[in-house]
Amino acid sequence: MDISRRGFIKLLGAGTACFGLAQLGLDVKPAMAYATSLKTAGAKEVVSICPFCSCGCNIIMYVRDGQFISSEGDPDYPVSEGALCAKGAAFHAMHVSKHRVLKPLYRAPGSDKWEEKDWSFVLDRIAHRVKETRDRDFMLKNDKGLTVNRVESIFQLGTSQMDNEECAVSHQMLRALGVVYFDHQARV
Amino acid sequence: MPKTFLIDTTRCTACRGCQIACKEWKGFPSVHTKQTGTHQNPPDLGPYNYKLVRFKEYKMKNRVEWLFFPEQCRHCIEPGCKAGADDVVPGAIIQDPATGAVIYTELTKKLTEKQAEDIRAMCPYNIPRWDKKEGKLTKCDMCIDRLQAGMVPACVKVCCTGCMNFGERDAMLELGRKRLALVQKTTPKAQLLDPDDVNVIYLVSEDRKLYHEYAERSTQPAREMTRQELLAKAAKPLRSLLG
Repeated sequence: MDISRRGFIKLLGAGTACFGLAQLGLDVKPAMAYATSLKTAGAKEVVSICPFCSCGCNIIMYVRDGQFISSEGDPDYPVSEGALCAKGAAFHAMHVSKHRVLKPLYRAPGSDKWEEKDWSFVLDRIAHRVKETRDRDFMLKNDKGLTVNRVESIFQLGTSQMDNEECAVSHQMLRALGVVYFDHQARV
Repeated sequence: MPKTFLIDTTRCTACRGCQIACKEWKGFPSVHTKQTGTHQNPPDLGPYNYKLVRFKEYKMKNRVEWLFFPEQCRHCIEPGCKAGADDVVPGAIIQDPATGAVIYTELTKKLTEKQAEDIRAMCPYNIPRWDKKEGKLTKCDMCIDRLQAGMVPACVKVCCTGCMNFGERDAMLELGRKRLALVQKTTPKAQLLDPDDVNVIYLVSEDRKLYHEYAERSTQPAREMTRQELLAKAAKPLRSLLG
């Protein structure tokens, strides 16, 4: 009989349950009917990292038939030891949420509604706006005549979902443009 | 040997990870939240919220104390709800002998709303909730599916502060006593809530009444018993004798 360790423990538990109930002279059928299988049984475990804060907790994603079905903290991760906060615990709900934005949304100047656009449109638009703004506002010298080489009309707010290397590249690009106002969220 | 939770509220930071982990594991949909002047949201337990962190604020000795109470079913050693359900729909509420988990089965769908309300009134902690959509009685099932697979309940697994503890009853009682001795050094009012009656034992540092109306085991049923219940109660010793 081919049986996994987990399956064996389950059978053992079910056996004990039946024995105990039978001893009490109770009908064991309802208990058997209630014993459901584990929803993550047999699913592939993929370790990923929580994107929310700098703790960077590992999260195990359970994948079955190419579908992400459940998530849980990773007990092997030394910082969290399998624990998560409310945000990290809501990973699967976030993934399947109907409110999740899956395509770039664009709201034209003066418009009151969002429209779906493809990536090439929004990236081109952002690049053009950055170039226009920088060309217009780039300062070589300040009021006192000191060389500053900066743009004061652009602000970049980073994301905690960028790793160290992405932050470095982003930082270099902004410095090259002369942007002095930028921040990053991964300090929470 | 039943399994027991030790919920050490002195370590709770009210991150509400347990509340979310419970919903996630059960696959429950979101429910409408309401701003009532506290972070306690949704305001009460419900068919899609088996676990809820309750928030209470008090001014004590010139400072504000914020008391957190991660509430859930206590999995009573002798569950009043089960006794009530056995009289009307046997098998609707069962107690798993291996873990001590008190489980509401699909048979609770056979209960009328009135019967469910009577069963609800038998809970000293006001835990069970009627699911109007499915027409059944619901509450925490100790993640029995996880326990049977050798895992701990979702709310325990997710807890990052050590507030939620789970294990054999003896071990949890010992841990509870140890923690209590330590906590009592700074807050002498600290106590374990009903450790002899339940399998979900809370350690609180202030007067239990400050945490939640039903934190304390109510000795009286929430309302007067019906004639049927009185008769059922009177007949119980006889039935136990007959086996």
